[in-house]
Amino acid sequence: MISAENSAGQTGSPVVVTGTSQRFGRNTVLEAIDLAVAPGEVVALLGPSGCGKTTLLRLLAGLSRPTTGSIHIGDQLVADASSGAFVPPERRSIGMVFQDYALWPHMTVAQNVGFPLEMQNIGRAERDARIAEALGMVGLGHVADRQPGTLSGGQQQRVALARAIVSRPRLVLFDEPLSNLDRELRESLVVDIAALLRKLGMTAVYVTHDHGEAFAIADRVAILHSGHILQIDAPEQLVGKPVSPQVVDFLKLGLVLPAEVQNGDLIIRGGKHRLSPPAGLINGSRSGDLFLPRSALRAASADGGAQKGNAISGTVVHSMFRGDGYAVQMRFDQNIAIEMFSATRLGDGTIHDLDISWDRAFWYPHDAAPALSHT
Amino acid sequence: MKSLKTVLLAGFACLALSGNAMAQSVTVYTAGPGGLIEKLAAGFKDETGIDVNVFQATTGKVMARLEAESANPVADVVISASWKTATSFAKKDMLLDYTSANAKTVPDFLKGPGYVAQGISALAIAWNPKSGTPKPADWSDLTKAEYKDLITMPDPAQSGSAYELVAALTAQPDLGWKLFEGLAANKMIVPGANAQALNPVLQGAKAVVFGAVDYIGLSQAAKGESIEVIFPKSGTVIAPRPMMILKTSSHQDEAKKFIDYVLSDAGQAMVAKTQLMPARSDVKADRPLIADLKILEVDPKTDRKAVLDRFAKTFGME
Amino acid sequence: MRLTHLKSRVFGSGGMIFAAVAPVLTILVAFPLLFVVLQAIFPDIARGIFANPFSRFVETLFDKHLIAWTLNTLMLGGSVVLVSSLVAVPLGILRGLFRVPFAGLWDVVFLVPFTIPPYIAALGWIMALQPRGYLEQITGLNFGGFLFSFWGVVFVMTLNVFPVVYFAVSRMVSSIGGRYLEAARVAGCPPMRSFWRITLPLTTPAIAASLLLVFAMSIEEFGTPAALAARSGFLVLVTGIEQRLSDYPIDLPGASLLSVILVLIAMAAFVLQHRIVSRRDFQTVSGKPGANRAAELGVWRIPVVMFFAIIGFLGAVMPILSVVLTASTRTISGGLTADNFSTENFAEIFANSGGAMEALGTSLSLGLGAAVITGILGTMTAYVVVRQRTVSSRILDFLTLMPNTIPGVVVAVGLILAWNQPWLPVTPYNTIGVLVLAYCCLLLPYPVRYANAALRQVSVSLEDAARVAGAGGIKVFFRILMPLIFPSILAAMLLVFAVAARELVATILLAPIGTKTVALFIWRQFEQGSVGMGMAMSVMAIAITMTIPVAVAIWARKQGRLF
Ligand SMILES: Nc1ncnc2c1ncn2[C@@H]1O[C@H](COP(=O)(O)OP(=O)(O)O)[C@@H](O)[C@H]1O
Ligand SMILES: [Mg+2]
Repeated sequence: MISAENSAGQTGSPVVVTGTSQRFGRNTVLEAIDLAVAPGEVVALLGPSGCGKTTLLRLLAGLSRPTTGSIHIGDQLVADASSGAFVPPERRSIGMVFQDYALWPHMTVAQNVGFPLEMQNIGRAERDARIAEALGMVGLGHVADRQPGTLSGGQQQRVALARAIVSRPRLVLFDEPLSNLDRELRESLVVDIAALLRKLGMTAVYVTHDHGEAFAIADRVAILHSGHILQIDAPEQLVGKPVSPQVVDFLKLGLVLPAEVQNGDLIIRGGKHRLSPPAGLINGSRSGDLFLPRSALRAASADGGAQKGNAISGTVVHSMFRGDGYAVQMRFDQNIAIEMFSATRLGDGTIHDLDISWDRAFWYPHDAAPALSHT
Repeated sequence: MKSLKTVLLAGFACLALSGNAMAQSVTVYTAGPGGLIEKLAAGFKDETGIDVNVFQATTGKVMARLEAESANPVADVVISASWKTATSFAKKDMLLDYTSANAKTVPDFLKGPGYVAQGISALAIAWNPKSGTPKPADWSDLTKAEYKDLITMPDPAQSGSAYELVAALTAQPDLGWKLFEGLAANKMIVPGANAQALNPVLQGAKAVVFGAVDYIGLSQAAKGESIEVIFPKSGTVIAPRPMMILKTSSHQDEAKKFIDYVLSDAGQAMVAKTQLMPARSDVKADRPLIADLKILEVDPKTDRKAVLDRFAKTFGME
Repeated sequence: MRLTHLKSRVFGSGGMIFAAVAPVLTILVAFPLLFVVLQAIFPDIARGIFANPFSRFVETLFDKHLIAWTLNTLMLGGSVVLVSSLVAVPLGILRGLFRVPFAGLWDVVFLVPFTIPPYIAALGWIMALQPRGYLEQITGLNFGGFLFSFWGVVFVMTLNVFPVVYFAVSRMVSSIGGRYLEAARVAGCPPMRSFWRITLPLTTPAIAASLLLVFAMSIEEFGTPAALAARSGFLVLVTGIEQRLSDYPIDLPGASLLSVILVLIAMAAFVLQHRIVSRRDFQTVSGKPGANRAAELGVWRIPVVMFFAIIGFLGAVMPILSVVLTASTRTISGGLTADNFSTENFAEIFANSGGAMEALGTSLSLGLGAAVITGILGTMTAYVVVRQRTVSSRILDFLTLMPNTIPGVVVAVGLILAWNQPWLPVTPYNTIGVLVLAYCCLLLPYPVRYANAALRQVSVSLEDAARVAGAGGIKVFFRILMPLIFPSILAAMLLVFAVAARELVATILLAPIGTKTVALFIWRQFEQGSVGMGMAMSVMAIAITMTIPVAVAIWARKQGRLF
C-alpha cells in the first residue's frame, strides 16, 4: 500500500527535551520530562489516555509553550521557558499527523498535500512533482483532485501522512494517527509507516496507547504515566527488564504481587500465600512487589507446590478457546488477575496451582531506591 | 413568564373572537398630542360610561392604517393633524354628516359637513434665547447674517403644515421664493419632521426653528426649556385638527357623543391645556388665539408637487 | 451511498419537516408579502378591488429621484457591509479562536447595540456629537460635520448592526475550532497567512450569511439616514417610502412598489451570497469530537482587549451614556450643569409605573415569544434548506430573507391588508397576536441565517448515526442537531429577543388598540415633547432587556457552552 522506493536517503534532526514541564493552572500535566531522540530515530510515546502524550507532542510542535525546561530540534533551541525563547510551529520544519487528520475541507487532496511546499515557496512544477511523489508513496495518486470529505477514513489518514512528509521535515509527529481505523488497516499501516520513516530517515515521535503499535514502529518506546516518563528503552528491553511495577502493569507483562518479607520468606498481601524465593532475590528489603512474568509461571500438574513455597494457587475465572489453546483468566486475590495460556481447558471456578520459575522473577523493593535486582 | 403565557393565551383567545366590537365603546384613530386623547378618553368615560379605544400615531401612520383597513374598517372617529384629510374624506363621501350642538361657537371656517376642528395649532418661529442671536420678529429676519448656519426647518415633504407654510409664503407677492433662497443662502437645514427640527435648537447646535409647531414649543417652554415661540408679524398658517365620524362606523351614536364631549366646555379646556388653540371661540386659553394672529391662506389650487420639488431643489435635497 | 442519503432525506425527516414548515412560512411570511406585491400592482386592493392594474407604475417608476435614491441605497448598503465586516469579522475570529480576556463580557456588551432602538441610538449620537452636544460641553470637541454626513450614517449604522456579524462569525469559528489552523502552522504557514488561507475561507459561509443580513437591514433602515444625512441631501429609497406614508394623500401603491424594488435589490444580494456559499460547502463538525483549545493571545492580549474595548465603547457605552445624560437632565437647553441634573424623568416613570411596567411586561413577553417561535421555526427552515437542496427549499430560504429587506412599516401594511380581509373566518388582527406575527415575520431571518450557516458544517453522518440508533426524524432534529448548533441558535434568538422587545416601526401601525409596548411608550413621550422621559424609559428598557441575555450568558457559561 505504501511504497518508499524512490526517495533520497536523508537524516532527520535530533530532538532534545530537557526538564520540560507543562502546567495548566494548578494542574501539572507534564513533570520535568527529559527525552533525547537521535537523528532518524523513531520514538513511541506510550501511555494510557490522559497521561499527557498529546501535551508533549504539542510542545514539540510549538503549539504550546512549556512551563519549564527547554526543547532543541537539531541545533535550534525551539523553546526555552527560562529565557522565553520560542520558535513558532511554522518555523520548526516539522510535519504532523493529527488524531482527527485535520484535512482542510475547502482544499482538494492535492492542495492539502501541497500546502507545506507552497509555504516554502516551492515552484509549481516541483510542487506538483512532489505532491505526486508523496501521494504515490501512500498509494493515493488517483484521488489527488477529490475533496477530503469524500475519502474513507484510511484514505484520509494516508493523505494526512502524505501532507506530513511531503516537505521532508526534520521531525514528524504522530498523534494516535491510527486510532480511528479498524484493526486490520491499523496493522498494515503501522508497518507501512515504519518502513516509510526508515526509508526517508526521518526523526519521528509517535504517540499511541497501543503497545502493539508502539512495538511495531519504534526504535525506542517511552512509557508515559501521569506526566512522567517511567522508562524509555527498546521494545525488547522494555519487556525483558521493566523498571517498575507500573510498567509491568501497563504493558500487562505478568503478575505483580505486593509482599512483606518474613524470615526470608515472602508473605503475599492478602495472607493466603507464603513463598520461599532463593536467597539472592530479596536482598535485605522488608517489603516490595514481586513480579512474575508470564514465562515464569507454569500450570502445575498436581497440588502440593503451594505448601513448598514455590507455587501460587488461583481461581479460574474464564477460559476461552484461542485456536491453538486456551486463554485462561485467573484470579489470585480480589484485585490481582492475570491472563495465561493453557494447552487444555480449565473449568471455570476450579482452583489451580502455578509453579514459579524463580530464575525469571523480579523483586521491586519498596524501601530502597528502585534498583532492579535479578537472580 | 406568566405574562408571556397571558399574551399567548390572549392571542389565541382573540383569534377566535376576531377583533373589535365590544358593545359600549368607540374607536378613535388620532394624531398626537398623546396626553390629550388620554385625558379626553378618561373624561368621556366618566361622563358617559362609554369606553374609548385609542389608536394614536402620526397623521401619516393613522392615514396608512385607515387606508390599509379600508376593506374592513375599524375606526369610528378620526382626528387628524391635517385639515386636508377632512376635506378630501368629505369629497369622497366617507364622512357621516353630523353637526354637534356644541359646535355653535366654532367659527365657520373651522367646520364643514361631517367635520369640525378639535383644536388649532399655528406655525411659528421657535428661538433659543441662550443662542446669542438677536430675537427675530419676522420670517425675513432669518435671512440676516446673524442666523447663518443656525436655522432649522421641518421638512414640508413630511409635515403637512410645513408644506402649507411654504405654499402660503411663496404665494405672497412681495416674498415669493426669495425668502427661501435667502434661507438656503443662510445654510438652513431641513433635518426631518418637527421633533428633529426642534432638538438641535434646544441643545444649542442651532438657534432657531423656521416654522415650528407652536404648541410643542410652548409646552417645552412651560417645562423650562430655553425656547421662545414668536408669531411673525407678516402672518403665518394655521393647522386646524379636524375630527370626523366615518360613515362605516358601527357605533355612530357613541361617536357623536364623543364629538359632543370634545367640543364641550370640559373637552375644550383640555385642548387649551395642551397649548393648542381651542376650536370654540368662547373658550379662553393661556396663549395667543386665532384672533391675535395674522393668518395666511393657502390657495387650494397650489400644485403641491411643484412646491415640494422647488423647495427640495432650493435646499439641495434631491 | 449519496443516492440513499438523498432519498432518505427527501422522504424521511427532511420531507416531514418541510411539510411542517412550508405552510407556517406561507401564512407567516408569504401571505402578507403577497399583499404588498398586490398593492403595488392594484392601487385599490385595500378596498378589495382589482381595478386599474399597474396604473401607478409609470408615476412611481419614472420619479426623477428614483435612480439617485436607488444608487444611494446601494452605496449605503455596500458601505455598511464593508465597514461592518472590517470591524466584526476580526472581532468574531479573535473571539472564536483565542482566549480573549473578559470574553463573556464582550458578548454581552456587543448585544447592547441591539437593544437600543435605532432611532434612540441616532438621537443619542446627535445629542452627543452635534455642535454644543454633550461631547463639546465636556471636552470642547464636536464631530457634527462627520456625524451629519454619509460616513456618519455608515458609522452609526455599522455600530447598530455589526453584532450580527460578530456573533455569527465567533460561533462559527469556535465550532470549527483551532485544529485546522494548527495543522497549517505545523505545515509551515505563518499566523497571518494561515488566517487568510484557512480560517477565512472556512468562515466564509457565516460571514456571507451575516453580511447578507446586514445588507438587508441597512437598505431598509429609515430612521438613521433620515436623522443624520437627509439634511445634507442624502436620500435613499426608504426615504421615498416614508414620504409616501407620512402625509395625506397616503400612497400605499407607491410605497409598496418601492419596497418591491428593495426586495429585488436584496434578491440580487441573496443570489450573490448563495453563489459564494454553495461553492464552499464544508462540513467541519465531523463525527469525531475534538477538544477545542482556545489559543493564548500572548503579547497581543493588550491590543486585542483594546480593540474590543474601543468597539464596545463606541457601540454600547457612548450611545447609552448620551441617553442616560438626556434622561437625567431636566431640560435639554440647560445642558450638563449641576443644577440641571435631576431624577425627575425617572421619578415620573415610576409615578406612572403602572403604564410603564405594563409596557415592559408586554414587550418582554413579545420578545420571548418571538425568540422561541423564530428559533424553532428558523432552525427547521434552515434544516430543510441545507439538507434538501430543491428549488422549493431555495424559495423557502429566500422567503425568510424578504421581510428583512422591506421596511417594517410596509410589512405592517401588508399584514393589515392580509389579515383585515372581511372574508377571513378568524384573524389575529387587532389582537396582540398580530404583533407576534409581525415580529416573527420581520425577525425570522436571523435564526434562519444563523442556523443555516451552522447546519452546513454538521456532518450528515451524525444524523445517520442517530437514525440508526432508532431516532425518528423529529427526534434527530431536536436531540442531535439542535444541541449541536445551539450556540448559534441561541445567539440568534437573543438578537430576535432584543429587537422584538423594542420594535417600533411596525408596532406603531399594527399595535392592537389599547396595547402598550416599550417602544410605543417611548415614542409617545417624544411625541409629547418629553425627550428626557422617553430617554429615561429607554434606559430602563435597555437595562431590563439586557438582564435576559446576561442571565443566559451566565447560564450558558455554567453549562460550558460558548456564550
Ligand atoms: N489546555 C488544557 N488546559 C487544561 N488541561 C489540559 C489542557 N490540555 C490538556 N489538559 C489535561 O492534560 C491531561 C493530558 O492531556 P493529553 O495530553 O491530551 O492526554 P493524552 O495522553 O490522552 O493525549 C488531561 O488530563 C487533560 O485534561
Ligand atoms: Mg491525546
